[in-house]
Amino acid sequence: MKKKNYFLYYGRKLLIFLVSVLVLSMTVFYISRLAPGDPLVSYYGDRVEKMSPQEREWAEEKLGLNDALHVQYVHWLNNALHGDFGISYKYKRDVMEVIGSRLGNTLILGGIGFVLVFVLALLLGILCAWYENRLADRIICKVGTVTSCIPEFWFSLMLILIFSIELKWLPSSGSYTIGKEGDVWDRVLHLILPMTIVVISHLWYYAYMIRNKILEEVRADYVLLAKSKGLGKRRIVFGHCLRNILPSYLSIMAISVPHVLGGTYIVETVFSYPGIGTLSYESARYKDYNLLMVLCILSGILVIFCNMVAQTINEQIDPRIKGEEALETSEVVKI
Amino acid sequence: MAELLEIKNLEVSFDTPQGELQAVRNVSFKLRAGEVLALVGESGCGKSVLCKAIMKLLPRAARIRSGHICVDGTDIAGWKEKEMQKLRGRLFSMVFQDPMTTLNPTMTIGAQIAEAVLVHQPRMKKEAVRSRVLELMELVGIDRAEERMHLYPYNFSGGMRQRSVLAIALAGNPRILFADEPTTALDVTIQAQILDLLRDIQRKLGTATILVSHDLGVVARVADRVAVMYAGKIVEIGTAEEIYNDPRHPYTWGLMRSLPALSRGKDSLYTIPGMPPSLIHPSKGDAFACRNPYALAIDYEEEPPLFQVSDTHYAATWLLDKRAPRIVRHWEEHAQPEYKCVKEQKPQEILLDVRHLTQVFPLTKRTAIRAVDDVSFQIRRGEIFGLVGESGSGKSTVARCIMNIYRPASGEILYRGVNVCDRQEFRREKKLLQTKRQLIFQDSGSSLNQRMKVKDIIAEPLKISHTRPKRGSCLEEAAFQLRYVGLDESYLEKYPSELSGGQRQRVAIARALVMEPELLVADEPIASLDVSIQAQIVNLFSHLQKEHGFTFLFIAHDLAMVEFLCDRVGVMYRGKLVEVGTVKELFAHPQHPYTKELLSAIPAPVPGAARGKLDQMCFA
Repeated sequence: MKKKNYFLYYGRKLLIFLVSVLVLSMTVFYISRLAPGDPLVSYYGDRVEKMSPQEREWAEEKLGLNDALHVQYVHWLNNALHGDFGISYKYKRDVMEVIGSRLGNTLILGGIGFVLVFVLALLLGILCAWYENRLADRIICKVGTVTSCIPEFWFSLMLILIFSIELKWLPSSGSYTIGKEGDVWDRVLHLILPMTIVVISHLWYYAYMIRNKILEEVRADYVLLAKSKGLGKRRIVFGHCLRNILPSYLSIMAISVPHVLGGTYIVETVFSYPGIGTLSYESARYKDYNLLMVLCILSGILVIFCNMVAQTINEQIDPRIKGEEALETSEVVKI
Repeated sequence: MAELLEIKNLEVSFDTPQGELQAVRNVSFKLRAGEVLALVGESGCGKSVLCKAIMKLLPRAARIRSGHICVDGTDIAGWKEKEMQKLRGRLFSMVFQDPMTTLNPTMTIGAQIAEAVLVHQPRMKKEAVRSRVLELMELVGIDRAEERMHLYPYNFSGGMRQRSVLAIALAGNPRILFADEPTTALDVTIQAQILDLLRDIQRKLGTATILVSHDLGVVARVADRVAVMYAGKIVEIGTAEEIYNDPRHPYTWGLMRSLPALSRGKDSLYTIPGMPPSLIHPSKGDAFACRNPYALAIDYEEEPPLFQVSDTHYAATWLLDKRAPRIVRHWEEHAQPEYKCVKEQKPQEILLDVRHLTQVFPLTKRTAIRAVDDVSFQIRRGEIFGLVGESGSGKSTVARCIMNIYRPASGEILYRGVNVCDRQEFRREKKLLQTKRQLIFQDSGSSLNQRMKVKDIIAEPLKISHTRPKRGSCLEEAAFQLRYVGLDESYLEKYPSELSGGQRQRVAIARALVMEPELLVADEPIASLDVSIQAQIVNLFSHLQKEHGFTFLFIAHDLAMVEFLCDRVGVMYRGKLVEVGTVKELFAHPQHPYTKELLSAIPAPVPGAARGKLDQMCFA
């Protein structure tokens, strides 16, 4: 009986997930066509301007651009379900191939950044809560407030200016020096600056949240009981308080995967780091429809999936949430 | 007996934005091994702070200014946190007021008890810990401990949780147990059980206990000695017999007299006039002087020292000075158990008619709680109807159904013949139903909007219903109502957070009265107040009802105040209305076992009183 319930529960989730992705793909498909610009430019480059009307007609016909929108969509969907996402107009290669070559870079930047952000935030948060209102706490909070006010792109430029141009310690762009593709150390050097930006721009918010959550817990009545048992501060903070905030922290982590990854998009663009972020930016700019579709849907899947994970975690803590909160799909489109 | 704990001249103060708050002022007492000392006083008198100060569990803003805390002759007042940790749990340990929040919600009960066992014996074997946990759970009366140790706090009822907290507190075999209002948040019947349990355990283990309470009646059951605290000082201390039979301090007299059991058959409950003083800038002289009807001139000049009455009995009042006039207390002779509150019974029209009311709350898709099960009763115009029952018995749900907050699953509620549950009828008579029926909640701290001033809170119903205030402007109306409930105009500009619990409840009453309701529903309006304040509010209700003549549905979880205030009483038990009758009938001849239990749970101010003693005392 119970097993069947679980099956139903996850089945329903999967169904909601698929429907959301479908709706997302429709929306992106439609909206991307609303934007001004000429998709032929990305395919033919400057030659478009010299084309005769017949040639244009023929080119559009070839790319399937002059069908009605819903016909185009059904066509695309049909191909997509068969695993064919079309070719990138700009790169003239299969979309998945293009993305595949860049995905690794973003995952390294975003993934390591994500883990760093949350581990550091946890440590900083605990540190601040431990030394509440003492010097260390106040300094960390102030520094955090100031840093989180600085826009990412400006901060990136400053770092490039200082560490690449003035001091010449670190490379300013790309993911590796040309000719040194296999050199791990070289890649690490290229990662340092973008990673710093990703971590610093997100760290404070989460650290501050952890701090306040711990302080809230520390003031709870059960801490008094724990104290009167004779437990030490360390046992209370780590054994009781942290344990109680971790589930909500996990669910917040899950929700913020897209935030952190979205942050890498800007960073990638500034540092010309060859990842998904730069690719999305280009595809939107050059109206590379097929590429754009896949990128949007990938980010969308990630967001929906993470929200679902977060919701599931929350539901396990508090059964009342079940079914009450509608799925949050508001922040699906993210570029 | 040896002195286990000796407090000498202890002073504790809080740093507040308004200045230094002296919560505990120059307190000295001794606790002997194996005795139960009760600390009694109104909220804010520093009794809780005193306990926490001894265990050094005070928040950061508080500090021990001076004084000594001697355990077996060693002064621990200056000890550091690290050293205190070793004492906590083993030397002393604490049970807190609200069992709902003192247990960690994400750990099983067993794990939490085991933790307390392991703190002081980290090398203990797993099996040994387990058997110790089971032993402790058995000791505090949790049966089926084997299964229950794997349950989480939310699976437990309030009483069971308090038992678990007690098990945790006893895990390290402490020599002193602090019980900080351990029964205040519990139902009366459970309250009696927990007190008996405390007494049993104290006898079995010989643990010295400091029991903190605002209710002299409650501690009478268990206390060996009683210390009465007022404004941060111990004003009277003595053995239970001395305090109950021969109290010397006027404040103790006041506390005793405001117990409803002693006001039986009188027109109004006795109340101590005024409010406890602010401890931020304590005035010169005796802090109680301005509330003391027997105050002498010297009371306003100089603080009285502790006068010795007997070897064990001390009281801080100038009345004990040999130059003071002798006071004869008449109040004891006046307490005659006779019911005078029989009003002339003209059969009035039926104002509220509840017929077969049933309310069901779904828990999951398949299960549901029957919160109210086929409840029928009628309230006539001008009547005060009391609805009594333990928490979870459905009395609040009935009130909310009557006030259209919930939609009942089935049944009818007729108000002046209008079926309030019917949407169409409700819409037709909306104005009548919304202005002539008013509700007062239990916790005015949360039911009054914190961001609104008192004058706006009181005038809001007028604005909502577009009613022209009778007395010119809304402000004048608010001021009038406020005066009517006993607060002066200076309160108009205050925010609810600046008021005490009793004052807030008065504001809530004024807010309800401003619409001149026909039916007033009060959902446990006095449950979260001190006994002395409860009496004030009940007197106010009784007075207002006589003046306004509104019909009053009064909900309470015990019978003590109901007897005094109500004409008829209904007793609810597990969603059913098990007994209805006039106060006189119900108190004289209770039919249902639960009613009998409720009656016997009324705390009696008789030292060592067990259940049922009260009846003997009052009906003798």
